[in-house]
Amino acid sequence: MKLFLVLFLSTLLLVSCTSKKEPQGDVVVSVLDSNIPHLDPIHSMNKISSTINGSIFEGLYHYHYLKRPITIEPALASAMPEVSKDGKKYTIQIKKGILFQDDDAFADGKGREVTAKDFIYSWKRLADPKNKALGWWMFDGLIVGLNEWRDQMRNGEATYESEVKGLKALDSHTLEIQLTRESFQFIHFLATPPTMVMAKEVVDKYGKDIVNHPVGTGPFVLEKWVRNSEVVLTKNPTYREVYYPSEGSEVAKKKGFLKSEGRRLPLSDKIIVRIITERQPLWLAFLKGELDHGIIPKDNYDQVFKNNKLKKDVADKGINIHYLPRPDVTFIAFNMEHPVLGKNKNLRKAFAAGLDKEAILATFYNHRGLVAQSPIPPGLKGYDPNYKHPISYDLEAAKKYLAEAGYPEGKDLPVFDYEMSSTSTWSRQYGELLKDLWSQVGINIKLNANTWPQFDKKIKTKKATMFDMAWNADYPDAENFMQLFYSKNISPGSNNFNYVNRTYDELYEKALTLQPGPERYKIFRKMVDIINEDVPGIFVVHRIFRLTYHDWLENYYEYPIIYDHLQYYFVDKEKKAKLIKKL
Amino acid sequence: MTFLIFNVVGGDPALQLAGKYATPEQVESIRHELGLDQSLFHQYLDFVKQTATLDWGRSWQTQSKISDMILSGIGPSLSLTVPAFLISFFISIMVALFSVSARGALLVWDRAISIFCLALMSISFLVYIISFQYLFAFHFRWFPLNGWDDSLMGRWGYLVLPWMISVVVSLGPNILIFRTAFLDEVIQDYVRTAQAKGVSRMILFGRHILKNAMVPVITIVVLQIPFLITGNLLLEAFFGIPGLGGLLIQAIQNADFPVVKAFTVVGSILYLFFNLVADLLYLVFDPRVELR
Repeated sequence: MKLFLVLFLSTLLLVSCTSKKEPQGDVVVSVLDSNIPHLDPIHSMNKISSTINGSIFEGLYHYHYLKRPITIEPALASAMPEVSKDGKKYTIQIKKGILFQDDDAFADGKGREVTAKDFIYSWKRLADPKNKALGWWMFDGLIVGLNEWRDQMRNGEATYESEVKGLKALDSHTLEIQLTRESFQFIHFLATPPTMVMAKEVVDKYGKDIVNHPVGTGPFVLEKWVRNSEVVLTKNPTYREVYYPSEGSEVAKKKGFLKSEGRRLPLSDKIIVRIITERQPLWLAFLKGELDHGIIPKDNYDQVFKNNKLKKDVADKGINIHYLPRPDVTFIAFNMEHPVLGKNKNLRKAFAAGLDKEAILATFYNHRGLVAQSPIPPGLKGYDPNYKHPISYDLEAAKKYLAEAGYPEGKDLPVFDYEMSSTSTWSRQYGELLKDLWSQVGINIKLNANTWPQFDKKIKTKKATMFDMAWNADYPDAENFMQLFYSKNISPGSNNFNYVNRTYDELYEKALTLQPGPERYKIFRKMVDIINEDVPGIFVVHRIFRLTYHDWLENYYEYPIIYDHLQYYFVDKEKKAKLIKKL
Repeated sequence: MTFLIFNVVGGDPALQLAGKYATPEQVESIRHELGLDQSLFHQYLDFVKQTATLDWGRSWQTQSKISDMILSGIGPSLSLTVPAFLISFFISIMVALFSVSARGALLVWDRAISIFCLALMSISFLVYIISFQYLFAFHFRWFPLNGWDDSLMGRWGYLVLPWMISVVVSLGPNILIFRTAFLDEVIQDYVRTAQAKGVSRMILFGRHILKNAMVPVITIVVLQIPFLITGNLLLEAFFGIPGLGGLLIQAIQNADFPVVKAFTVVGSILYLFFNLVADLLYLVFDPRVELR
């Protein structure tokens, strides 16, 4: 017995003294706060998957890392596209000598050169109904003949060899794309992960397991992926010559991000992406120096900030803050098909006037954000900082609207079901605040907690009466927010308000055909006026995230729509050796 | 029940898979491909067939083979739960025996242990995790905060702290239950006879009482084994251990029915199997039990 005890205790001691292995070489330890379902770019429609896919794969275009507002520029394309006068035909030259990453799928295990046909193949994969690609919506109805090919594939009448009229390889490195209509968004779609290039050999070799075997042309190759734990990316030895940018925004210049100008990318040999879904360990791991950047949990703000400024003792440890204005809007949506809410504009106005957005901003976002006046967030062209929503928080006005709606002091007004998107404490507290605010007007709501699948089902099947949600830009254009109210997008599409307005639709369709410019923004403004008058929802906040990073992490300039950011990071090892002692 | 709960009450996987820009045609097409447009009876037959063949196909969400997902998660889950379970079992038996043997001259020890166990049980699991992680991994820096190493030798450093938490959490209920089982034996006639014959306390407790109290102990212990295999969600999430608990919760959050069904059926089979094992073990420890 004694022998057993001694053995057990010594083992415990030995094991417990095993400290975490310090990464060797030029290694960045990054973090994601959500799990990655798979690594097939055609499904990559969130920041989590796209962060990894954007490091392994490349598209024809990408966003400049340091310019703000963000600017599109060629990636695998050799220049911006030549667009025909009618705006429907795109001719794109592809850079020569771009190699796929080495993989057993290729002859001798060496990646071959990318050609125009690889893009056509990749986009057919995106359209192939068997793949159920989450990114298909981008090309849906946009490329001549692609929808027809999709239908034929569904019926077994076409193959990948079948021609798509709107997709042509003029030669090995020239693509010609014929659109069904003029589209300002198309170029942005070519900068998103679902349109990134893949090799047929790789897809054929791995079959359905392609979701676990990403092989692209990007700066990193996948070395290891332990689900729910970590992803390890190592430098792609055959990555083309790409250099750190020499231009950037004023913030980028001020923060010294141009110091790496001219260095060959990627700047690190290895990126370890830890997946930590719980806030406490993520935060503690950051404070301990195990992560190079992190996220501050809502309840730890006081530990970092005083009067909304970084505390001195925190700053002295070399902890820094990156202010990230997100191109998003949080909103409370009304189901316009609801027999009472949907038909009574004054009732919806009463809800809007009874909502204290400043209180929400203070309580739930620690003042991190701007009160929203319209769906268009700051940072996108079309956003007007001087625009004010015609209805602001005013209890008396809310009561007046309610009386005009036919329910003076809330008399005979039914109780409305309010769907919360999760069962978390945050959601419940948020719901309770709304309930309290609207009860002061005379409106009563019943809070329903949901799991995400339940919530999603209620919304997409139009069963929800009202609910809260957020919309993040998928591409940097105000149109991405305007389409939320287009009648052809009603549930199960993105118009979860189920809002239908013919004038709005006509303006939207007109705006779709226009290039960015005053005329287009004027139309957006008219559309905003229409929805702010009809109140299919209440726009609450445009969030500003405050992300933390250690001073030793160089070039940390995160932005939601930029997916190839990891190649710009590197760790200043001397700085780290000094600063880590202070943690 | 499993089939009905997830097909009737849960979310709609077709809507989830179609994404935020879905069109009704796409949703219908996905529903057709997943077989969700077939009658409930037909879907139930498929479910029975999968259960019979143990071939669950692929996850709707990750598109990986479910068997591969289970195989990749089972090692980390067992590494987390089994050692903690064995340590907890060993300590609980020792303390419970001591507690029972202390009744009499050392009654105060028995009471102190009972109060201590109740105190341990009154604290939430989450509080243990948060405070231990803060104290031992962050403040004292004795252990890594979070992470995982695939190699068999490399992983232990990441597991010591979760084991400690797991052991502390399970000590309270285990000690109290084992103590009750031992107390039931202490008052038996054979114990009094053995004491009268001058049998030493070590032999009395270690050989006679322990063996005779094993039937309830086995019931408790063996029925915990299926839960060891299915992992521990909270510990896995806080310590970054890629076990089965995390996979299951993700599947539930994403309405990934094939994965949820596979886990439920495998869990049920394990539960039934270990129930049977517990019954068979009674034969070993209690000669009065026989198979008929």
